[in-house]
Amino acid sequence: MLVKLTSFFLIIGILLGSLETEILAGEIGNSNRSITFPTDPFSFQPGPGQEIANSYCIICHSADYIYMQPPHSQERWTEIIKKMKDTFGCPIPDDSITHLAEYLMNQKDLQSATLYPINVPKPSSSLGAGTGNAIKGQSIYATHCINCHGVHGQGDGPIGKMLVPPAANLTVLGEKSDQELLTTIQDGRPGTAMPSWKGDLSAQDINHVLAYVRSLGTKLPKK
Amino acid sequence: MEQQYSDGFTRRRFLLTTLIAGGLSAMGKLPVRAETTSSITLPFKRGERPFVAFPEKRPLMVMTTRPPQLETPFPVFNEDVFTPNDAFFVRWHLANIPSAIDLQTFRLTIRGRVKQALSLSLKDLQEQFDPVEVAAVCQCAGNSRGFSDPRVAGGQWGHGAMGNAMWKGVRLRDLLEKAQLENDAQQIRFDGLDRPVADGTPDFLKSLSLDDASADHVLVAYEMNGEPLPFLNGFPLRLVVPGWYATYWVKMLNDIEVLNHEDHNFWTDPAYRIPDNACGCLEPGEKARQKIPISTMKVRSFITNIIDGATMNAKSQVLVKGIAFDQGYGIDRVLLSIDGGQHWKATRLGKDFGDYSFRQWETHVELKPGQSYQLQSLAINRIGESQQLEAKWNPNGYLRNAVEAIQVRTQS
Repeated sequence: MLVKLTSFFLIIGILLGSLETEILAGEIGNSNRSITFPTDPFSFQPGPGQEIANSYCIICHSADYIYMQPPHSQERWTEIIKKMKDTFGCPIPDDSITHLAEYLMNQKDLQSATLYPINVPKPSSSLGAGTGNAIKGQSIYATHCINCHGVHGQGDGPIGKMLVPPAANLTVLGEKSDQELLTTIQDGRPGTAMPSWKGDLSAQDINHVLAYVRSLGTKLPKK
Repeated sequence: MEQQYSDGFTRRRFLLTTLIAGGLSAMGKLPVRAETTSSITLPFKRGERPFVAFPEKRPLMVMTTRPPQLETPFPVFNEDVFTPNDAFFVRWHLANIPSAIDLQTFRLTIRGRVKQALSLSLKDLQEQFDPVEVAAVCQCAGNSRGFSDPRVAGGQWGHGAMGNAMWKGVRLRDLLEKAQLENDAQQIRFDGLDRPVADGTPDFLKSLSLDDASADHVLVAYEMNGEPLPFLNGFPLRLVVPGWYATYWVKMLNDIEVLNHEDHNFWTDPAYRIPDNACGCLEPGEKARQKIPISTMKVRSFITNIIDGATMNAKSQVLVKGIAFDQGYGIDRVLLSIDGGQHWKATRLGKDFGDYSFRQWETHVELKPGQSYQLQSLAINRIGESQQLEAKWNPNGYLRNAVEAIQVRTQS
């Protein structure tokens, strides 16, 4: 813990210069309040268009946003998706909108009780490359990683681009082995703002995130 | 987002808070255990809501997980005139919410068209300004949206996106006075620490006119029912605008900007607008000619001690009780009907906790064996405004204040 604290404050110190002393002197333990937000309970249901919903909708909100809606027509869903794109900045390509509207219109009622309980951490299992599920990983990514690494993993999230050094571009990791990446997610990366996630994510969740990160380079939007 | 911060100081604060949030959450804090006990189905299509205990909350009805939108189970409103903090509804617009706040570094800034910009810690607020308390109802503009007929898009709430609390804090007016407004000050804009996830999403901002912001009871609150605010209700500071819909009650408030023009940011224009007519309503399919920002709440009442669909024992003296509230004129009377609105009888009002609070009411009625009854309550405020006998409709599902009905049967 001491090592972590030291490297953490080193980063803060580099970023904030003169504020360093004030922070180190402060009794953070007494004045800090924190919570841990639950991760998304479930992702979109199988069917044609699922991939689009799992790629774009859950950037900003969990899938239950859709399943609590009353049935809407395809036309209404199209309006809603266009609002998400034009007003809220959803990076969905135009040629996916019709397909997504059709998918959303056809969603069946979910028995939410069968989909919860959500995110009760699983007992630690072994880390292993190739055992993760990219769809599950995306939901975790959207909750924990996106602010630094960005919507498309290019290290351009709202926080990531302010960091020194900036957040890593995850679309160009071809040379790194799975084991190296797992270690970085698990233990953090000294000298950067990348924290250790092993306290927050189960080993299986970390595998899911790796699976998603490996898919990032192939998913950039067409400009 | 960066353009909202005119000085590097505030922006650095944001960065610091976020980094501390990320750093501490990674330092061995255990992930949340969200326990599910059961679910409940609201009486409209796709109304099933699981009960999940979010941090600092008892199990509440989850409408959405991220950003969190949690509804208060209705029986809670029968327990007490004040809604317990751990049962108080939760509604965020943006998913990028800090997961930790350090009061050593947290500051509320007041800037813009002021002679003296301020940067205040929570301690500064508590020590340098007079504390003020007000009992007030906080109700989502879209409370009860799930009952819209025809249905509309948006958060599909039952009636539980509301709560009543004793708020304690400092008068916004006192803060503005200390900052010394320039003569051209026109609107006051409020920002919290929540941020969008996608680059293109407008940050959540709300504005009040200088007149509305200067009202006696508009507070920057640091306590709710005698405790610091729950994290999910806006710790450490929340704007409290008694009588106004909750969209104005900005959570995790950290920035107050004095503007010399009318604010047209997305969340005021076009979002959160209602048709500019007396009822704020339209016929389904009709387009509004003109829209105005939503503002004060319409008078409402609810029966809280009897559940819709209940089978009851026939008795000559059956207690019926509930709550009523309005925008702050205060409740004048609440009437009860057990025959579908043909006859109405007066009820007794409970203790008065102030014009912005829930007001409890109760009466006794005779229920005969083997009958069906439709129970309805109707509140009238002190300027004679009453609830709508039939629900009005608008495309956003705002402002519902219909007389609600519950059906009961008695055993033969």
